Amino acid sequence: MSPTTLAHAIVAGVLLGCFYALMALGFSMIRSVTRALNLTHGDLIILGGYLGYWLWIGSGLHPLFLVPVAAAALLPLALGWQWLFQRLREPKELSSLVLTFGLSLFLQNGMLALWPGEYRLIASEALTASVSLGGLTLNRGRLLVAGLALAAVGSLHVALGHSRWGRAVRATSVDREAAALLGINVDQATQSTFLLAFALSGGVGVLFATLHYLSPSGGAELTLLAIVLTIWSGAGHARSVLGAGILLGVVETLTLLWSGPRWRELIVALMLLGTLLARAGGLVPRRSR
Amino acid sequence: MPRGGLIATGLVGLALILLPPLSGFHPYYLYLVSTGLLFGTLATSWNILAYAGQVSFGHAAFVGLGGYGAALASLHGLSPWAAIALGGGLGAAGAVIIGLASGRLQGASLALATLAYAEMWRAIAQNWDEVTGGGAGLIGIPALPTLPWPSPDVSGGRAGGYYLSLALLASVLAVFAGILRSRLGLALAAIREEEERAGLLGVHPLPWKLLAFGLSGFWSALAGGLYVHTVRVVEPDLVFSLHFSILPLVMATFGGVGTLLGPAGAALGLYLASELFLHPYVPAFHQLPYALALIVVALYAPGGLGTLFRRRRHGAA
Amino acid sequence: MALLEARGLSMAFGGLQALRGVDIAIEARQVVGLLGPNGSGKTTLFNILSGLLRPTTGEARFDGARLTTLPPWEISRLGIGRTFQIARPFAHSTVWDNVLVGVTFRARRGPRAALERRREVERLLATVGLLDKARATAGELSLGERKRLELAMALSTRPTLLLLDELASGLSPRGREEVMGFYGQLRGEGLTIFAIEHSARVLSRVADRLLVLDQGTVVADGRPEQVLASTRLVEAYLGEDDEP
Ligand SMILES: Nc1ncnc2c1ncn2[C@@H]1O[C@H](COP(=O)(O)OP(=O)(O)OP(=O)(O)O)[C@@H](O)[C@H]1O
Ligand SMILES: [Mg+2]
Repeated sequence: MSPTTLAHAIVAGVLLGCFYALMALGFSMIRSVTRALNLTHGDLIILGGYLGYWLWIGSGLHPLFLVPVAAAALLPLALGWQWLFQRLREPKELSSLVLTFGLSLFLQNGMLALWPGEYRLIASEALTASVSLGGLTLNRGRLLVAGLALAAVGSLHVALGHSRWGRAVRATSVDREAAALLGINVDQATQSTFLLAFALSGGVGVLFATLHYLSPSGGAELTLLAIVLTIWSGAGHARSVLGAGILLGVVETLTLLWSGPRWRELIVALMLLGTLLARAGGLVPRRSR
Repeated sequence: MPRGGLIATGLVGLALILLPPLSGFHPYYLYLVSTGLLFGTLATSWNILAYAGQVSFGHAAFVGLGGYGAALASLHGLSPWAAIALGGGLGAAGAVIIGLASGRLQGASLALATLAYAEMWRAIAQNWDEVTGGGAGLIGIPALPTLPWPSPDVSGGRAGGYYLSLALLASVLAVFAGILRSRLGLALAAIREEEERAGLLGVHPLPWKLLAFGLSGFWSALAGGLYVHTVRVVEPDLVFSLHFSILPLVMATFGGVGTLLGPAGAALGLYLASELFLHPYVPAFHQLPYALALIVVALYAPGGLGTLFRRRRHGAA
Repeated sequence: MALLEARGLSMAFGGLQALRGVDIAIEARQVVGLLGPNGSGKTTLFNILSGLLRPTTGEARFDGARLTTLPPWEISRLGIGRTFQIARPFAHSTVWDNVLVGVTFRARRGPRAALERRREVERLLATVGLLDKARATAGELSLGERKRLELAMALSTRPTLLLLDELASGLSPRGREEVMGFYGQLRGEGLTIFAIEHSARVLSRVADRLLVLDQGTVVADGRPEQVLASTRLVEAYLGEDDEP
């Protein structure tokens, strides 16, 4: 393997990792504020992608303009999901998996009905051009996505760390009851988290659709990746999600360089299995008596 | 079981036995009900594991292993019966392997691990072209021998497959009924309720859990093997489909986890309702009942999944 | 050699030192009481002896076998049974099944015959006075009944050493008298008993010997009257004996 190939793979991995971090943020935020595991996460991203595709075909606009539209389109779903999640019974994590497993089925079938047939891609020429950077040839779309991801993670990090809203969200994540006793409006913090997470997912979907083909069942893999990242980063910290995302991106590109692209899905599944086993009790701490 | 329940069960059983002649050996209805019966088998084997407190999100792994195992064996010249049995063994082995994870993981973590495990097998089937035929899968799987009665051309040979599916469901129900009255059932109930306490009373949890995994995987894989010999093709997205993980969970939780007949009843009911009443009219939404059933279970089952796992054993020593 | 022997048991939970070098020796057929203020490490000691926790350092032997590396089921098969301070039956199973578990799985080849097992469950339930509740769900029992079920579950594995964690606390005066009766009966059957109670009065009536634990250290060990005569001890550690 030549040094350029390796360098190329690492840079591509970092770019991919930035995208992964952005992709996983919504999952991680909802997880930390509600303890719920949202298995529809990837489906929502795919849905955002389809909406973006549909608008792009209809309008011919630059895909970047469609990002906010797709983000806004998912907001009603955020309210619906929040309504459902509020009603989950104990054991909450397991119930949330059951609920969202069902919702996932529903979303996938809905998308299959609306966009049957071939796979779809937002093949905008504005994004497919390549850029030369220090001897490496990179895809402009990927660079753009990585830049957006950095900007989003950065602003979220600042907002969480330095605003009233961020304090409320962090307090709600740590201990909901205690936060409520301290006069923090936990319901509002939860709702804004859902809205933000869903908006992020919708927007990410459009970006995803500029890089990858969409298929109604393609969300599962994104969900698995988001879970891996959330476990790696420990829920809720924007910065560590970014770190975990970059690590995952680099690990993935290097593994694929070695194994060939066809084993990609296998590697994602193994990564989740391995992570769960290695961090046994990390996702759901064992009760200690 | 109360008397009314016994009578109702008997009547449903009788109706299922008599359905082929009563329906005039209608191939479509026989195919439909056979598939419903296979889902009944799947939901009941899911339930065996749930009885031990282990919630699986990955039964597609066992269906798929059974399907591919049986298909490959059949294509290599084994008789379909032996091939299906072999597939069952493969599914059982696959289940025991992921069962080992239950020594370290529980609840939501284990559920996610099973989900990833099914995804892993799907990815293997999808890409190991040399053996599995990759995404295109395998075709030309021999049909099951048809019943000579009333004559193969009347039912398109479906009567045989129908009775096999019925027998498979009956066998898994018999096994589960046996478990409920045995040491295994006692151990599994104790593990489900309080694994730590069970350990203090002399129950070594892991071997019992592995046994539950193995039995559950075996019957799921038999259903998978029978299924591929009915449709006569096998593809990754067909047998490792998320549906084979979701539907047994829906059906069993909706029908009542830990009850003997609930999951099978719910499987038949939900599947037939969806296929007969929704598929023809609103094909896009024919899976709506499953999604709704899950939402109801997650939100309105009193006490959530937790209570669904409660079942009183009545003291038979 | 003592039936149960612990040397230098220490247990740390993160920064919290729950046990600091505890040495204990209990002879067969002794009834030993364990006293100590809240949080002094009593239950932690039982958790180690029954295999739920692995000590940070130190080891314990029972009947010559090393306990501290064994899982709970092996320890239970060696002959150690325990109750929990807060009763922890299988809440959704019947009282009958709660007791049947130990009877069935206490040995690799436990009593095979269903009839034999049934007799034994009946006998155990009769011992603790729960025979008429056999078909009730454990979660439906009253506090006192649940404590008695705890005892029957602990006995269901036929232990030679019984670890009893506050069997009498939280009970009415009548319930407590009943528990005293159990202590007498079990001693009469030749069991070795290691019992935590919050009430020094209860323990001094039934124990041959008292141990006092404070902040993870054994601070007194001797005949009940000796230990209780030390007024300093009584004030410092047992003064909270609020039960009449
Ligand atoms: N699993 C655990 N994890 C963390 N800390 C623990 C754990 N178990 C016990 N502790 C801590 O160790 C200390 C000793 O607890 P332990 O339960 O042994 O006390 P105790 O003497 O039984 O008290 P009580 O009379 O209240 O029952 C306490 O401070 C307790 O909080
Ligand atoms: Mg205690």
